[in-house]
This record gives sequence, C-alpha cells and structure tokens, in this order.
Amino acid sequence: MLVSFNWLREFVPFEGEAQELGDRLTMLGLELESIDDPFEAVKDLVVGHVVECAKHPEAEKLSVCSVDVGDEVLDIVCGAPNIAKGQKVPVAKVGTVMPDGMKIKKAKLRGVKSLGMICSERELGFSEDHDGIWVLPENLTVGDRLVDALNLERTVLDFDITPNRADALSILGFARETALAFDLPLTLPELNLVEAGGNASDEISITIDDPALCPLYQTRIIRNVETRKSPDWMRFKLLAMGQRPISNIVDVTNFVMFELGQPLHSFDLDQIEKAAIRVAPAPDGMKFTTLDDVERTLTDRDLLIWDGGKPVGLAGVMGGANSEMTASSSNVLLEAAVFRPGTIRKTARRLSLPSEASYRFERGVDQVLNTFALNRAAQLMAETSDGKVTSGIAKSEPTPWQDRTHTYRHARCMKLLGLDLEPAFAKKVFVLEGCKVDDSNKEEWKVSSPSHRLDLEREVDLYEEVGRVHGLDRIPAVLPRVSKSLEGGNVTADTEYGFVRALKHWGMGAGLNEAINYSFVGDDDLDRLNLPAEGRVAIANPLSEDQNVMRTDIAPGLLNTLKNNLAQGNGHIRIFEVAKKFIADSESDTETAEQLRLGMLLYGSRHAADWPWPQEDVDYLDIKGHVEHLLDDHLKLKEPDCVLVQDHPYLQPCINVLVKGELVGFMGQIRPDIADFYHARKPVWLADMDAAKLWDMVREQKIRFTELPKFPPSRRDITVIGPATLPASAIRDAINEINVPLLESIHLVAEYAPEDASDERNLSFRLTYRHPKKTLKDKEVEKQHKMVLEELLKKLPVRI
Amino acid sequence: MSDELKTFLEGLDSLARECEACKGQAASLSELEEIRVEYLGRKGRLAQCMGALAKMPNEQKPEAGRKANEVKQIMTSLIDGWQADLVRAQDEARLKRFDPSMPGRKPWAGSLHPVTLVMDEVSEILVGLGFEHASGPEVENDWHNFEALNIPPEHPARDMQDTLYVSENIVLRTHTSPVQIRSMLAKKPPLAVICPGKVYRRDSDLTHTPMFHQIEGLLVDHNVSMSDLRGTLTAFVRQLFGQKTDVRFRPSFFPFTEPSAEADISCVMCGGEGRNKDGSTCRVCKGTGWVEILGCGMVDPNVFKAVGYDPEVYSGFAFGFGIERAAMLKYGIGDLRMFFENDARFLEQFA
Repeated sequence: MLVSFNWLREFVPFEGEAQELGDRLTMLGLELESIDDPFEAVKDLVVGHVVECAKHPEAEKLSVCSVDVGDEVLDIVCGAPNIAKGQKVPVAKVGTVMPDGMKIKKAKLRGVKSLGMICSERELGFSEDHDGIWVLPENLTVGDRLVDALNLERTVLDFDITPNRADALSILGFARETALAFDLPLTLPELNLVEAGGNASDEISITIDDPALCPLYQTRIIRNVETRKSPDWMRFKLLAMGQRPISNIVDVTNFVMFELGQPLHSFDLDQIEKAAIRVAPAPDGMKFTTLDDVERTLTDRDLLIWDGGKPVGLAGVMGGANSEMTASSSNVLLEAAVFRPGTIRKTARRLSLPSEASYRFERGVDQVLNTFALNRAAQLMAETSDGKVTSGIAKSEPTPWQDRTHTYRHARCMKLLGLDLEPAFAKKVFVLEGCKVDDSNKEEWKVSSPSHRLDLEREVDLYEEVGRVHGLDRIPAVLPRVSKSLEGGNVTADTEYGFVRALKHWGMGAGLNEAINYSFVGDDDLDRLNLPAEGRVAIANPLSEDQNVMRTDIAPGLLNTLKNNLAQGNGHIRIFEVAKKFIADSESDTETAEQLRLGMLLYGSRHAADWPWPQEDVDYLDIKGHVEHLLDDHLKLKEPDCVLVQDHPYLQPCINVLVKGELVGFMGQIRPDIADFYHARKPVWLADMDAAKLWDMVREQKIRFTELPKFPPSRRDITVIGPATLPASAIRDAINEINVPLLESIHLVAEYAPEDASDERNLSFRLTYRHPKKTLKDKEVEKQHKMVLEELLKKLPVRI
Repeated sequence: MSDELKTFLEGLDSLARECEACKGQAASLSELEEIRVEYLGRKGRLAQCMGALAKMPNEQKPEAGRKANEVKQIMTSLIDGWQADLVRAQDEARLKRFDPSMPGRKPWAGSLHPVTLVMDEVSEILVGLGFEHASGPEVENDWHNFEALNIPPEHPARDMQDTLYVSENIVLRTHTSPVQIRSMLAKKPPLAVICPGKVYRRDSDLTHTPMFHQIEGLLVDHNVSMSDLRGTLTAFVRQLFGQKTDVRFRPSFFPFTEPSAEADISCVMCGGEGRNKDGSTCRVCKGTGWVEILGCGMVDPNVFKAVGYDPEVYSGFAFGFGIERAAMLKYGIGDLRMFFENDARFLEQFA
C-alpha cells in the first residue's frame, strides 16, 4: 500500500519526518518497505518561458524557440503544433535523463542547434496526451524545478499490509493509525454535496437476491456530466499513488477508493435497462464481456450486477463493456456496495482479475463509511464534470451493519501477554481505535468494535490491540519452565529425525557429500527412467514442466545433481540424499504414501586424489561396499544378501539387497543409454535404500556384547577353481552348509579371472578355525578342513 | 706357562687385534655380517683357535678358556658396536631422504548439507530447552495445512503463501504448522514439540525457491504467555547467533496465532549498527540494523478448537523459523539457489 505523505497530512497534522512515521507504524504492525519519490523520473525538469517562437527556416512543422529557464535563455527546436510565444512549458535541459531513460543532448535539427527539449505530458508520464507540449499554468515561476512549481508529492511510503488489516488500505486508515500512534486529532474531508432535486430512489430500483452475498448496494445519479481531464490536484495525487489518471469520471472513483478505501463503479445510466439494478449470481456457463473487452465464462458462484435485462458488471471485480462510461456518456449511475469478501475473492482469482477494487472487497470494506464515500464521490464527480447530482440515494440494505460486542477480561489479557498494565491503558486504546467500552463490570468489560476494524472479531483480537499499541517489543523475556511428562518423552535418537540424522552422519563419515534436491521433478525425468505413470502425485499448478510431479523415485534428483556437476566440470561425484519419495495412495488421508529413502550415487574416480592412489573408477564393489558398510558395519544388521534381478527400469545390472529375507533396497549401474542423457561417460552406480524399513529393523534389534575369543585361531586358505558364472556367495554358502563346528568364518581373499574371457575363475578363501575352550592342534584342524574340501567338491562343480 | 699356552694366548690377542683393525671396513650390514662370520662364526677364526684348546692339557684349559671367552666378548662387542653405528648411519640416511612434505593418502571427505547443519544446531538448542521432535507428511490435506490453522477457504490469508496444489483438497504443505495440528490431535497438553522439515511454495526468484526448510516450535500448557515466547526465542537466537544478539518483536499477522509477531534479530553482520566499520550501509540488514528471522505468536483459540483443546484452559505459543535464511546469515551464502544446485564445490565446503 502506497501512502502519499502530504495527502496523509491533510487528515492528521503529523509534523515529523516520514521515516519516523514509517518506523512507528512498523512497530504497530504496518511494516514500512521503502520511502520513495514518485516523481523521481522528472526531478530535473524546469519551468521555462517561451520568449520567442519562430518557424524553422528549413522545416514546415518545426519551430525555433528561445526559452527562458531562469539562469539562461536556451534555443530549442520544437515540433509540437501547439507551441506559442508566452507559454510556460516543462523543459528538459541538456543532460537531463527523461523517464524513458533517454538523455537530452545538444542537437542540430535541420541545421539549427537545439539545447534541450520542451516536453509533452506523455513524455513525462503524466498522461497519454501527446497532441502537443504540456502548457503549464501561467503563474509558475520560470526556472523553478517542475516538481516544486507544481507542488508535486516527493514522499510516498510503501507499506506491506497483512491480510487482516483491511482498514489500512486507504489514506484514511493510515491517518487513523497515525493519530493513534502520535495522539493526534483526525479530520475527515468536508462534505459539500449539492443536490439538484429529483429523487434517485424513484428513478432506480435496487433488488438484492441473496443478502448474504451483498449486505448493501446503493447508488447515486449524476446527470449531464462532461468527461474530461481531471483537475491537476487530483491527477497529481493519483500519480503519486502510482495510478495513471484516465478521465474525471474514472479518476474520482479511484481517488475516493484510495482516500477512503471504498471501491466505487460508474455505469453509463443510459445503458441501464428498465431503470433497475439487481444483484444476483450468474447462471452457470454464462458468457460476459468485461470492460477490458475480454469475454469471460462465468459460474454460478460469480456474483453479477444486472440491469432490467442483462448483466452489466461482475460484482466487485470489473464492470461490463456494455455499460461502461464513454467520452460521449452524459449520465452516471454511481455504485457503492458491500459484497461478501469470499465471493469476490473467488471470482477475481478464478478469472485472474486482481484489481485494486477486488483487493479491498475481498478483505472487507467499511459498511458504515459506505454512504460517506458515495456522497464524497458524487460531489467530486459533479465538481469535476459540471454535472448535477440527483437528490437522494437509491439503496437496498438487507443486512444493516451491527456493531459486534466482545467480552474483555483485562486480567486474562495481561496473563496471555505477560504484561502488567493498568486497565485504563486498555480502555484508552479501545476508545482511540473507535470502540465503545462498557467497563461497569470490572472483570468483564463489554467492548464494541467499529465497522472499519473487521479484524476485531473476538476477545483475543482485543488482547492483540492492547499488546500492539503498548508495543509487543516491550514484553519482557521470561524463559518458561517447559512442563511436560517425563514419562514417554521422545528422545531425539528415537525419532524419525534422529534416525535420519544418524544416516546423514554415516554418509558424511563414509566420504559422501550430502545433496538436497527438490521433491518434485518433471514427468520427463520419470519417463526417462521408464518409471510407471501410475501412482504419480502430479502438481496441478506447477511452476514449470520440469517440476510438475512429486518424485516417485530417488534417482532422478541424484542424476540431475550428477548432470549439473558434470556441466560444472566436477568429474568425481559421490553424493547421498535422505529424502522422501511420493506414491499416490487412496487409503491415506493425504492421498499419498511418503517413503523415506537413502539414495547414494558414485561416479568417476575411486580415490580422493590422483596421487598416491592408482587411477581407478568406481565399480560395483564400491557401491556394494557402501551398502555393506551401512547395513553391516554401521547399523549392525546381519550381512546383507544380494540378488541379481532382471528387467529393472533403469539399472543394469540391478541387485536387490535383503536383510533376513526382507527387501531393504537395491543398487546397480544406470543403464548406459540413460546415463548418456546425463552426460555421464563413465559408469554411474546408484543405491536406493528403504530408510523407513531400516529404521524399523534397527529399532527392533539390540546390540549385545559378544565375549572375545580366549584361544588362538588356526587359518587355512583354499583356492576354488570353478565356472565364472558361479557366484562367490554360492561357494561361501556351500561351505557354511557343511556342518563344521570349529569353522568360525570364511573370507574371500583373492580373485583370479584370466583375461582371455575364460569360462573359469579362481577364488581364494581364508577359513578360520577356532575352538572356544582350547588351542587347536594341527591334526584337528586338518581333519575338519579335509572334510570341508571333500564336501565342497561333492556339492559344487569345482576343483580345489 | 707352556709355550703352547703362550702361543695360544698370543694367537687370541692377535685375533682380537686383527678384528679391531676391521673397524670401518664394513660399509653395510651384510659386509659386517661377513666379518662376524669370519671371526665369530661356527667355522670362524675364533672357532678354529678353539680347536687347539681341546688338545691342551687339562690344567691349562681354564686359563685358555677364560682368554678365549674374553676375546670373544671383545670381538662381539666390537662388532655389535659397529653394527649399531651402521644402523644409526642408515637411519640417518633414511631420515635425510624422508620427505614430510609429500601429500598424504587421504580418504574421501564427506560433508553434510548446510541446511542439515543448521537444522541440527537449531534442533539441538531447542531440544536442550525441552522440546521434542515431531514429524508429519509433506503432501498434506487442506484441513491440516489451512483450515485447522484458522485459514478458511476464500480467506485472503491464503494469498500469504502461494500454494502448490495436487488437487483441490491436497496441497504440498506450505509450512510445517500442520505438524502442530497432528501433534496436538495425537497428544493432550502439556506439549512442547519442534517440527523440522521441507515446505513448498509456488514462488521462484532470487530470494525464493519453491522448496525450502522450516522448523516450527509449539508449546501448550496452562498459563503460557507471550513473555515465555519472547524468553524462549531470545535464549534460542542467542545460542544460535551469539550472546549479544537482541530480539525485536513487531506486530504482524498469522491466521494461526493471535497476537502475532515478526521477530527480528539485531544484524549479525554489522552488530545492529546498520553500517559497516567503513561507514557503508550494511548489505545484510539494508541499514536497518535488524534482520527478519522468524514469525511467531500465541496460538489462536480457533486452532485449539480445531484440535479439541479448550482455549479457556490452555494457552500456547508457536514460532516458525526459516533454515536457509539462517544458513545464509551463518555462512555468508549470498545466493539462495545454491542450496539446491548441489554443486560438489559448494557441498564440500561444509562439515
């Protein structure tokens, strides 16, 4: 909300600086954003006097002028048809930067030098008028800056208004707050409405179909108006508020809206059929052309203003093209109404037609002030157009305003705010804000809130006023004793947050960088990975197509991170992310199942530096190592099983990871054709773990100490020569199945696979034997080991 | 003394002298080992001398034996000494070649995202003050995200947060406040919870990303006041930004709190002066000396009604805090978008 400083001071005699006002109002809840000069763009222009004006010797349409600008007389060539000797004109001297950014330079036009420019209103952004140069009032002083000579507003405060403060959407509203803040008197503009006879209520009938949608609708008639430019004082005020002046009829309605907060609308009375106005909803699917000449399709939830035959306006949002005021219109039907805020908001939003009017209607307007606003606008319209205001008001008010009365308990207010103020202070606040206070019952006052403070709806809203005016910043800081049951309290480590934190710390410790990707991706991202179209949670109003669906898989985000990094020249990527994936679920009260995942992606070099490590790229054993390290070493879940699966949408190979037979995740290499899209020239290894399931498993298990062995182990190595297709785990499992009580563990220690793509490979295992109660003798070990070898040869097609 | 004995003893003496003369002849441990074998080995020269001992008359044997032992000890200690010298020289030579400036064999350094780091720090402070963690869904229904929080449909307050919709009734949560609702529905007061997590808004420009992180705090009990809120937030921001940090409460509006306030902290960059030491305007607080850091207030009675708490019996406060904003202040990160580009060179800077 822009607030013209001088306009405000017409209502309230504030003598301080604008910054002081802004700072004080900020602490009252009206936050100052900035203080600006609305006429900054024309600040260098000066008032000039055309002392000579002669035809250009070489050009029919140009004039050569001598212009007195106070300290000098400039020769300026001007092309405007209306330039004449004796005029006062706005002059941009050499060096002046025009509002459009053009810098005025010395020039020669058809051989005649020109040292400046005489400007039109359009060139200075004052109107669309460019029929000629702007002829200024004669009483201006030559050489003065234009902004000073015209007494233009130089200070406009821009405030951020929270949605509850509908009362602060006008100069009057700010004047009220200023008066409250600085204990100053408030003066409303004087009303001098001259009525010309007749009776508007006889001329127009007003019907409201549903009082809930429109508590008040009233109109005045102004006849014989002449549409023309508004007087300068009004135009300059509107310009200062960022509103471009149009014509007196339109400008008056805007002016009163800014001044009092009440939006108004002018119909061309001669286009209103049967002298009737009806407020009623649109039929579903009806087409209606608004005054911006756009045809709009309406629903039965849009409220229309109808005349005796047709709709003439979209209530509170925009008038109709069929009844708008034109240059040739001469009679005005001026509307001032109160509409149900939600209805206006819905229509304005659905049609994407936000306006200054709908903005105010959807926050709520002051029903009691409505008549004053109507009268003020009628007066100004008559004054600026030489029209005549018909006596009386045509009006329907099915729901007159009733003051709302709330209980106020001072002691309770003080307890909630943590303050100790005299009751008299609260009373003063309420009275200054326009409330009526009945404090005959000391414990429970009755406070009636005024029609302009729609936000004072409940007792607690009154508490806020007391706190706000006293200053929330003056509330003392007291550290509360958090009283809560010590029983059943959640220790962070036992919460989802705690587990996620533990996973993240593992990731960091394992040498991975944590990434955070957006939860949404594009459908394309999912399609590219051949992920199913079913079960996607789509965003109805995405910001862009690449953010139009919640991720159903953790991979797209990690792959996009890889792509971004490769584009930045980062060749080694080791990232992890703990985040949710989202699957549509009709059973859920949010229609979505959210699954917590831990994703990891490895790409490029295995080692942190080129030296002293060998140059190697990550492979399956790296991603698997991370998974094993997480599950086995970190979470202490039993050694995971890895099962090759076929036909994964985007991984090849793809390996499922199981713990105690339960699937806890999968890992594998991104298929090269897909990796190509992400500009990955080397293998991309990815793992996706079900973090929620891991959390369940971790919570179920207890870590128990195992006694350390007291006797030394005895180790034997075997090398198994077998088919290259035989998994190492098959050999290990086969050995484990042989009942060897003294065998403690089996570890793979070496692999030899001949390079000639032989069908065989050699795998060396180290077997550790140990007796819990004695030191084993060689003979005992040999006996056991021999049994292992014999049994293994029987079980598998291998040689030892 | 017999000549035989004399010759034997002299032989030993000259053997010892010969051995002593070997000093400095061995340049390496293996050469020294050859000397040791020559003199002290099983078939070495001392052993050869000892061959004559066996043939000696018994009465001469003790003296001959004593001498032999003496010579053996002399030679052993000589050779051991040379060996120690050689080892020392070798160690010194090795140390001379040792280059402590060679780069180390480092494992990969992992890192936590700055959002995680700040979230953790904030959580820890609040847990220390007595709050517990709660979590909830990121895709929410309208009731939890809006209506229960006193934001009815068609209310202009819905404009405060540009919402991403899944359907008319389902949204991406625009704040972590719905977790308050879920927590209150699940538990009776007293209640002190914090809800960290991702939130979503339909907004993307230099200062907004469509996803960001918040942490929400809620305390409900008998007789909770706005002083308690201020005390909690003051303690919280001082632990996070330093003991000299001041908190300012500005009246504001949130549908789910009444009264509502914006809490500003004194600018961490310029110490609340609004100006840098060189007199230029502080970039972080734009010269105001204050930085907007969180929104807060007393829980609105309508919110209590929505979850079945009696607003005449209970009162409470709530606050919401933007993590990215705090991380930008804490680490001096200027561009919000860097948080979600995940450039490795960015991520590696935090741990």
